[in-house]
Amino acid sequence: MASSQTATKKEDKPADPKAEQQQPTAEQKQAALEEDDEFEDFPVDDWEADDTEAASGAGATQHLWEESWDDDDTTDDFSAQLKEELKKVEAAKKR
Amino acid sequence: MEFNAALFHEFAEALNSENGYRLAKTLSPDIPNERLRAIFRSQNAHSIKNALKRGLQGNAALTLDHQTVQGWVEIYAAYWNATGVILTARESDNDSSKSSNLVWTKVYEAWTELLNALLRGYQTFGFEAFTIPCLYVVCKHLRAFAIQADEERNRNAPFDNGATAFQDDFDPETNKHQKLEDCARVLSRVFMVCQTDRAPLEESRKWGSYYIANLLLKTYFKLNSASLSKNILNSLRAGGRDMPDFSLFPKSQQVTFKYHEGVLAFLEENYIQAEECLTEAWNLCHKNAMKNKELILTYLIPCHLIKSHTLPTEKLLEPFPRLQKLFLPLCRCIKRGELHKFDLALQEGEDEFVKRRIYLTLERGRDIALRNLLRKVFIARGFEEAKEGEKPVRRTRVPVAEFAAAISLGSQENIDNDEVECLLANMIYKNHMKGYISRQHGIVVLSKSGAFPGTGV
Repeated sequence: MASSQTATKKEDKPADPKAEQQQPTAEQKQAALEEDDEFEDFPVDDWEADDTEAASGAGATQHLWEESWDDDDTTDDFSAQLKEELKKVEAAKKR
Repeated sequence: MEFNAALFHEFAEALNSENGYRLAKTLSPDIPNERLRAIFRSQNAHSIKNALKRGLQGNAALTLDHQTVQGWVEIYAAYWNATGVILTARESDNDSSKSSNLVWTKVYEAWTELLNALLRGYQTFGFEAFTIPCLYVVCKHLRAFAIQADEERNRNAPFDNGATAFQDDFDPETNKHQKLEDCARVLSRVFMVCQTDRAPLEESRKWGSYYIANLLLKTYFKLNSASLSKNILNSLRAGGRDMPDFSLFPKSQQVTFKYHEGVLAFLEENYIQAEECLTEAWNLCHKNAMKNKELILTYLIPCHLIKSHTLPTEKLLEPFPRLQKLFLPLCRCIKRGELHKFDLALQEGEDEFVKRRIYLTLERGRDIALRNLLRKVFIARGFEEAKEGEKPVRRTRVPVAEFAAAISLGSQENIDNDEVECLLANMIYKNHMKGYISRQHGIVVLSKSGAFPGTGV
């Protein structure tokens, strides 16, 4: 985190002498400058349950993650190649 | 707000209605230059304390004891002083000829004075707990000013690479975050002031603990100090019984805290806890906070991969182009069992993965890619000849040579048999595959019931 920030800062800052004029947005500006990997301040302190991610994705949560294998997707090149290869191995054995 | 009747009126209103957030606004530096100037010009250093004292004491709407008045006089005097320094700093930022004076260091120092005055209010003058949003505002900007001061100093003293290369004992890193490190020490004092308050819960400064803890965690993350972050978590955990219930804190504080707690667990490879915390952060997060949602997923996705062997769907990644770029190539390779392409994709994204500290975790996804590849071999081999009236049974005796062919297919590199057996043994050991290797016959005998646990075959 820390080491990667210096480079961008050195480039960005002097190039924009007016940056400080927008002091009220200092926080946001900060986030943009430092490789934006810092958790941002929320614009509001608290919100209703309706506005949470859990509620907005209501019922769809199970569609967010899927199994890591795919048995239907056997049409790709790799699957075809694999089948060829396996046939070869089997044939070589029978000989 | 100019330092005259307007301020005193606002102060009285906020105090009488016990509205800490309204009160905190009177201490914000987050205002345009004209307004800062108006404040600064409305008083002078010589008479400000008397003027404040008269204003606060003489206000009929307020009945403050002498001590409390004294506390607020010190605070507003420090704030007034800081407005002048901030003005100078902002103006010199616009005038490059003056920019070498380390003006933001002076702002940081002036602002530290304000925070000290405010802390005395709690430690000596018995300020009430509803005023803690004042601490929030002052602490939040102290951190921002510290970062600005460090940037300014690093910019003005560019390290001469040629010269410093010969000085072994000179480490520019130690100095780089000087003010931010100082800020962390100050904030941890504030944290203690909140955390150790023994007043009954409803009027306790303990309500400020998580806001300040979050500021500290952000600061420690920037300083790359996981161990100091752990101290904060431990302190909160130890005080757990006397703390208000976590769910009673504003959601912004809950989400921010859970995110940091989750990432810390992640870095310790405690993926169970990491997944729990990050899922909580995800669920409570404001639906429109895209940047924060993206950060949560950056760690939640590797967690899921390791723990439940699941991948994000396209629907989940749809709103996040950066995450798509980061994870989709890897996910595709894992799904198809393309081992070699997985290695290439990992290499391709290495810099970015390392920077986000997810490289080592993602690397472990190779096991899942391998599992899927072996599983494909198993499925491709089909079924034994079915006996009358019985359910078809998959052919569970797989020649090692077939697995070997599959493994070297992508890279076209021949790997020797021992290495293949080693990979297979590892898969069995990690319970990705059930069975045993019969070296004598050069085959793997897989379990008839669930050769690849959890994957339906």
